[in-house]
Amino acid sequence: MTIQTHRMKFPLSENDSRTLRAGDQVVIDGEIIVTAGLPTHQRLIRCLDGLEPLPFNLLGQTLFHLGSYCQAKTSPQGIEQLDVVYINPTTSTRFNDVMPRLIGELQLHAVGGKGGLDARSVEALKKTGCVYLSFLGGGATLHTQSIQEVLEVGWSDMLMHYRLMRLRVMGLGPVTVAMDAHGNSIYADTQENAQTRMNQIMAFMDGARQEAATKDKC
Amino acid sequence: MAISSELIKSVTAELYERSLRKIPLDAMDALVGAAQVESNETARHTLRIMIKSAEEAEKTGQFVCSDSGVPVYFIRVGTQVQFSGHVREAIAQGFDQLVSTIQPPLLPHITNPLTLERGYKGAGMPLVTFDMVDGSDCMDITCSPKALGSGRWAALEIFSFPDLRTIEKYVLDVVARAGSQPCPPVVVGVGIGGSFDYAAKLAKEATLRPIGEHHTESMVADMEKRLLAGINMMGFGPMGTGGDFTASAVHVNYAAGHGFTPVAVAFNCWINRRTRARIFNDGRVEFLE
Repeated sequence: MTIQTHRMKFPLSENDSRTLRAGDQVVIDGEIIVTAGLPTHQRLIRCLDGLEPLPFNLLGQTLFHLGSYCQAKTSPQGIEQLDVVYINPTTSTRFNDVMPRLIGELQLHAVGGKGGLDARSVEALKKTGCVYLSFLGGGATLHTQSIQEVLEVGWSDMLMHYRLMRLRVMGLGPVTVAMDAHGNSIYADTQENAQTRMNQIMAFMDGARQEAATKDKC
Repeated sequence: MAISSELIKSVTAELYERSLRKIPLDAMDALVGAAQVESNETARHTLRIMIKSAEEAEKTGQFVCSDSGVPVYFIRVGTQVQFSGHVREAIAQGFDQLVSTIQPPLLPHITNPLTLERGYKGAGMPLVTFDMVDGSDCMDITCSPKALGSGRWAALEIFSFPDLRTIEKYVLDVVARAGSQPCPPVVVGVGIGGSFDYAAKLAKEATLRPIGEHHTESMVADMEKRLLAGINMMGFGPMGTGGDFTASAVHVNYAAGHGFTPVAVAFNCWINRRTRARIFNDGRVEFLE
């Protein structure tokens, strides 16, 4: 099997998303929205419930579980702007409870982070036409190099890595399509395989243990 | 001659900073070795990006991971060591100073577990464990900042007169539960026996043992080898997207206890943050990694 690598412009359309298959690699150009905050996700749900307005348009956008550290800097032209000093993924399973609603109601066509999402999101991804992209954890230096510009910051009242940051990136990744819009989840598959193999693994361990015990007696 | 607070402050801060920008040599060697024999193409690709990420962070002086964790130190104090000032306070001041000077700055990860407020200070911080070493004339400090990704999946269960099979099955179950989430390939530390708290400490210390170094008792070393083989048969792979390398090492430590046997399992993620230095009475500092 040869890995398919796609260089794609974000945000992805529903069609773009449906062309991707679990196991493909994607290099990201364009606009993405990032946050690493559980309180941010809870606040987004409040927005969906009509209790608060969204800080900016998220409909049809990309939402990645990436935390960032930003600093204000002044451009050579004297313009004050934000600079992303580093960015890196956080564990997405922390957001399992809210992701199906966010994917469906915000019509997100790409989400991502690390560690994956559960079965409830597999359904939402399929229905909405959305992929989950796996970023390298501990890839801060590489991920940060692709950031071109901070386009917008939502909820500046929150901790820095909880804020919603709309960024322009060029060449972010490659990242792995770990869950696709066709009901495939590498995470569900690997977990199922591990459980299926457990008896075989224990039989192997029993044999190895017996062998070691015999060796120790010699 | 005595070790000054000022020296403890600067060395503990430096250990923290070094751990953020460079992965230990044994972790790098494990990744390079894995990339050569991994059978899954996506996994090989992920391993290569891991190596590149670590190299790039070291070259540019950036952080490998944005989760700089919380400050955790293990300190073994020789019985011949003399101090000329406070020790705990010096470590706390070292971290405070690091927070105010380090570039790029750290995100506020220290969390009050009751209110979930986050900042750079908190009850009991930095987390420091002290041990005594008879006859030694140095203070041996290991810094291992703990982040959420791998810290979250540690577990402990207490068994009554378990056989080895029961213990090993429990380790496999804990690893399976963590699955793709602790940024594999992980180092798995297992602590068996002692008491509830002691087993956890043994497991944590086991994660700090260099990769490739087995327990000195052959019965335990054999257990480490079959656990590593068993875990890598599960197939989670690098970053959990499938492959042969879910763990790069399994280290087991044990202590005698009563018939109730705690079994603790802890993880380090692939970057395996760990730095170590020794401070001697005469003020000499030796950075070991």
